[in-house]
Amino acid sequence: MSQKKLTVVLSQAQGKDPVRRAIEEEIAAALLMEPGIDLGIVPALYDLNEGHTGRLYLEGVQGDMVVISWLYPRAAYWLLDRDGIQGKMGETNIKPADNNDDDDDEGEEASKPKGIGAVKFQDRFIYCLDLRDAKDHRTYIEEVRRIFSECKQRWGAATGDSKPAIVQLGMNISTPASTNGNATGSTAFPKEEMLKIPGRRWYPVIDYSRCTNCMECLDFCLFGVYGVDSLERIYVDNQDSCKKGCPACSRVCPEQAIMFPDYKSPAIAGAPVGAISGLKIDLTKLFGGGDALVIAAKERDKELLRDGRDAVGLTVGIPKRQSDKKDSPKDELDNLMDSLDTLEI
Amino acid sequence: MMGKYAAVVPADLYYSRNHFWCRVVAGKNRFGFSSYAIKLMQDVYFLDWQVNAGDKVALLEQIGHIETSKAVSDLFAPIEGTLLGFNPEVLADPSAINVDGYDKGWLFEMDGGIDSLMDANAYYGFLAENWEKAQRMLKGKINAGDD
Repeated sequence: MSQKKLTVVLSQAQGKDPVRRAIEEEIAAALLMEPGIDLGIVPALYDLNEGHTGRLYLEGVQGDMVVISWLYPRAAYWLLDRDGIQGKMGETNIKPADNNDDDDDEGEEASKPKGIGAVKFQDRFIYCLDLRDAKDHRTYIEEVRRIFSECKQRWGAATGDSKPAIVQLGMNISTPASTNGNATGSTAFPKEEMLKIPGRRWYPVIDYSRCTNCMECLDFCLFGVYGVDSLERIYVDNQDSCKKGCPACSRVCPEQAIMFPDYKSPAIAGAPVGAISGLKIDLTKLFGGGDALVIAAKERDKELLRDGRDAVGLTVGIPKRQSDKKDSPKDELDNLMDSLDTLEI
Repeated sequence: MMGKYAAVVPADLYYSRNHFWCRVVAGKNRFGFSSYAIKLMQDVYFLDWQVNAGDKVALLEQIGHIETSKAVSDLFAPIEGTLLGFNPEVLADPSAINVDGYDKGWLFEMDGGIDSLMDANAYYGFLAENWEKAQRMLKGKINAGDD
């Protein structure tokens, strides 16, 4: 059973950029020849709507998976999570080219986010690679090989002791993905259906490793995008109610947990939070940027007016923040106020 | 003006409060980063524009984003008007911004009134006046850790 295969899913770029298509084709060609790899190719991950054959294929993948896309790994991972394609986040060795900053790359990781985390259903790893991180397709092939050997080690360890228990529980986790045959060629997922270009979509993706369930996005968005699931966790309920191009809720989020993978500025599109705001100074204020809340309210007003509704400016769903206040230890008065809050007086 | 560093502020240009210089070239207002801005940001890695040539933009509307060795920032229109075009060379290779910021490293051209801009003297005064504040902001950002 340790002869499992590793599934690699290549998500194409939106549009027809020949440069991007070329690197995709090089990677696909090389991976088809790669022993132990099942390759699947789908259109841009972000656009795959429910029922798209590419998405059904992704949902059917068993076991560890590598997803290669034109999205930030964080965005790709949580996008899949929202669609029920879940697993643990696999670590990749491919890092952005310009991330060779001085010495403190690792140190920033110390400030672990305090999010509510994902609700995991599948005991497997999903590795997300960003095609913008390297120009040479061989970098990705080598990384897939490295991940494959990492997975094989894990599978080997798992078959040693824990496998019987899994079988007893009736979970067929160890069913090899390869029984589906070569993914792209299999009859269940005809290639032309898998690669059918879906319409462009636009919706937020929540990074639950950062989200604290504060519900500020739910209060702010007036278009019914956000909802609460059965565990009372915030989630993106009506993805397609979202207003194309509007990233306002992402600016409102106090934890940078909301991503719009197609948005132009990296911080909103899901760039690593450490690299963007931890290691580097944000000079936005100095260069004339206003308060993020003011920008967000303006963006929201624009969409409200477009819908024939009234602009609300800063009157609805704007969190009250004392952003300049330092995080000082709470004193007795603070504690008293907190206890009043919980009594709902 | 910036502590022990002197920022070069050519006298024949105009300056915006958000640290762009402006020179009128063939009837168009050409903008680039002042040496003050460059000094703060250092080597430019990545420049991205969010508006297209021909777009009308409001004063301080977001037009792009920059990432440098030391900083990230959104970029905002220095005047109200129409964006005429971007310097394709710095888009391909932003190093000109650091090497020759007041000439080859120009960023974009705009149509629109530039009465609101400052002359070199006024900008110099503006920098001196705001250096304390800027320093406080920078130190605050550095100490703030992950925010």
